[in-house]
Amino acid sequence: MKNNIRVERAIKNITQADLADQVGVSRQTINTIESNKYVPSTVLALKIARVFGKPVEEVFILEEED
Amino acid sequence: MKSRFLFPYWCRYLGLVLILVHIPIVMFKKDLGFDLHETQPSSNLFNSHHLFFMTTTLLMAIGLFLIAFAKEKIEDEQILQLRLDSLQWAIYVNYIVLVISLIFTNDTEHILFLNLLIPLVFFIIRFRWKIFQNNRLIKE
Repeated sequence: MKNNIRVERAIKNITQADLADQVGVSRQTINTIESNKYVPSTVLALKIARVFGKPVEEVFILEEED
Repeated sequence: MKSRFLFPYWCRYLGLVLILVHIPIVMFKKDLGFDLHETQPSSNLFNSHHLFFMTTTLLMAIGLFLIAFAKEKIEDEQILQLRLDSLQWAIYVNYIVLVISLIFTNDTEHILFLNLLIPLVFFIIRFRWKIFQNNRLIKE
């Protein structure tokens, strides 16, 4: 699974720490999600998408091998 | 996400204190009046050998337990997953060592001791290592 969190953050001009605060996880978690090391739960994915005001599919994208 | 059955964050430091207290007790056992050789043949409960073994083992086990199962500062879903992964590793390692030691020795007291320590110690090391890796990643 890929994600556009880094791009969306740049658009909204917020840091990893800001995003982490808003969805209630640690900065490390946001960082590992951005670098595709950790796949978030559905709840967390929905929360992140809500921060960016977009549907989940625009932030998280399935890949061929998923 | 809620994580149940975990101790508050400060319990980690309580656990460290218990382990630090346990080390000098083991080092100075003779000075404290636990002369193991005299009492070893007696098989009664609560003789000095048994009391010594019980107190030190309990101190250490409870200390490790508190360190292993105290909450992180931010206990989120990734931490929960690391915890679960590390626990699985710890159980695997523990049983591999148990099987090997059952085959190659018949020293039950030490097997019990290893069995008591390995899951907790291995869990703590693996869990801390993963957290350390994540922290290092963030600094890059």
